[in-house]
Amino acid sequence: MTFSLLIEQIINGLIIGSMYALIGSGLALVYGTMRVLNLAHGEFYMLGGYFVFFLAVTYGVPSYLAIPVAIVATFILGMLIQRLTIHYLMGKEGWQFSTIAATLGLSIFLQNAALLMFGEQFESVPYYLNGVIEIGSIRLPLQRLLIFVVAIVTIGAMTFILKKTRLGWAIRATAQDRDAAAVVGIPAERIYLITFGLAGALGAIAAAMLAPIYAINPWSGLPILLKGFVVVILGGLGSFPGAIAGGLLLGVVEAIGVQLTSSEWRDVIGFAMMIGVIWWRPWGLFGKKPT
Amino acid sequence: MFQPVKPSQWLVIAAAILVMAAVPLVTRNSYLLHVLILTMIFGIFASAWNLVAGFGGMKTFGHHAFFGIGAYVSALLSIKAGWSPWLTIWFGALAATGAGLFIGLPILRIKSMSHVAIVTLGFAEIVRIVISNLQTITRGELGLWGIRPFEGFTLPFFGEITFSPADKVPYYYLILLLLIGSTAVIMLLMRSRTGLSIIAMRDAEDAAESLGVNLTRQKLLVFAVSAFLVGIAGAFYAHYISILTPTAAVGIDLMILVIAMALVGGLSTFSGPLVGALLLTGTVELLRDLDQYRLLVYGAMIILIVMFLPKGLTTLGPVLRKRFASR
Repeated sequence: MTFSLLIEQIINGLIIGSMYALIGSGLALVYGTMRVLNLAHGEFYMLGGYFVFFLAVTYGVPSYLAIPVAIVATFILGMLIQRLTIHYLMGKEGWQFSTIAATLGLSIFLQNAALLMFGEQFESVPYYLNGVIEIGSIRLPLQRLLIFVVAIVTIGAMTFILKKTRLGWAIRATAQDRDAAAVVGIPAERIYLITFGLAGALGAIAAAMLAPIYAINPWSGLPILLKGFVVVILGGLGSFPGAIAGGLLLGVVEAIGVQLTSSEWRDVIGFAMMIGVIWWRPWGLFGKKPT
Repeated sequence: MFQPVKPSQWLVIAAAILVMAAVPLVTRNSYLLHVLILTMIFGIFASAWNLVAGFGGMKTFGHHAFFGIGAYVSALLSIKAGWSPWLTIWFGALAATGAGLFIGLPILRIKSMSHVAIVTLGFAEIVRIVISNLQTITRGELGLWGIRPFEGFTLPFFGEITFSPADKVPYYYLILLLLIGSTAVIMLLMRSRTGLSIIAMRDAEDAAESLGVNLTRQKLLVFAVSAFLVGIAGAFYAHYISILTPTAAVGIDLMILVIAMALVGGLSTFSGPLVGALLLTGTVELLRDLDQYRLLVYGAMIILIVMFLPKGLTTLGPVLRKRFASR
């Protein structure tokens, strides 16, 4: 592998990794706040992608309008799903498993509902930006640069919300201790609702940015969910900064790994890394060992 | 928690075995037998998953890896080495056990249910992708075909027994024996010291450990037995269906189906997974024409069961009785 090829792969890895980071951070947000492992998270991505496709391609809405609308729609969908299912399971006997099982059911249900409604063909969205910039021998399509910029902005906005706003304080307080938060008047139920909505929105942002590169179909959520799992294990389940770091790391390792082997081993590299981390540091690469 | 089996329950077990054994005497309809054979394969799979997830409280989502390993190892040994399937199914099951120990060891140290779910799911994906990528050996998604059927033999009174696609009866009795055997193994295991410690661990891990239960060894034993049984089911499946693809033999749909069966029937009961297997396989076949709604219905069923009947259909009776009594 030549040096410039290595640099190019690292850049590509960071770009895709920034999307893995968005997916992982949605999972981490829900897990960190509610201790719920959301197996239907990939379906937020899948449905978000369809929303963008229908608005931008079928109805011809300009993409700078279509994408925000799709994100809001997925936010609402996330809240709806939480209110209709998870809400009734939280705190009940065996809720840790029942929420996993319910989201598994949701995932299959939504996949097949999408299959019946939208059909099994692969849909795609045209590039939002055309053109390539060249730095030395490295060529970087603007579309990919846009992906990275959107990821940075989203992560920045999420960090701002979590650290600087009353909503963010309430989310973090509920995550730390639900009962203590309730004592000072934070309504946990509403926080859970919003958390699920935010996770949905994060999934939709990733879907909107990846829609021109990866095709949208009813099953496109599952591989993304599995990526998200690797990310949250690498970063420590439930940690928002961990998910960002884990996503970027996975992106780079995959890009270099694929260059050294071949593309059909891409997923094996990620999963093997995940199992290695579970053996070595189950609390995540960047987390502290729980005492 | 665990009472001895009551005489009335023995009677139900005996009656169920008799009914199942009598089916081929009444009808030789190969479609019906095929559905029942699939039911029994899934019955073993769901019972073995229930052993780990229900009784053991270790919620794994990657047991389809063991099914696929059992199927592929047995099929490949019979094709490449030319060994008899009667021998290779045990090697398939042992390979699944080995994989079970490999993935069981790290996850046993983890108490978080979510970590266990993620890691087992990821492990199964690795197995599926590896099988699918090693095309020179497994032929990948093109399908591994030409898997040898079980050799026939001669039984006194019954005469020549041959295993062929045309006659499903020998397969039917073989899988029935395997199902009875696996259920017996699970029941015996759960009534042994190991079973009692497993239940104690699930319900109060720290207390059990402080009383000197060796957590890791007991959990690992249960995990290995479960992987072995799923491996056997997979190996039988390979020689029965005689064509394997990674999607059909290690696909996540398989795991979803089995989880749905165990949940519908009732987790942590002996009969639940078997009842679930019968109900769901049966429903699928009844709804053959509505095939595109099959997974939609499964998904909805999992959600509804989890929300409204978390202990499964086997507890429907008591739940209803309570409801009517309270009126």
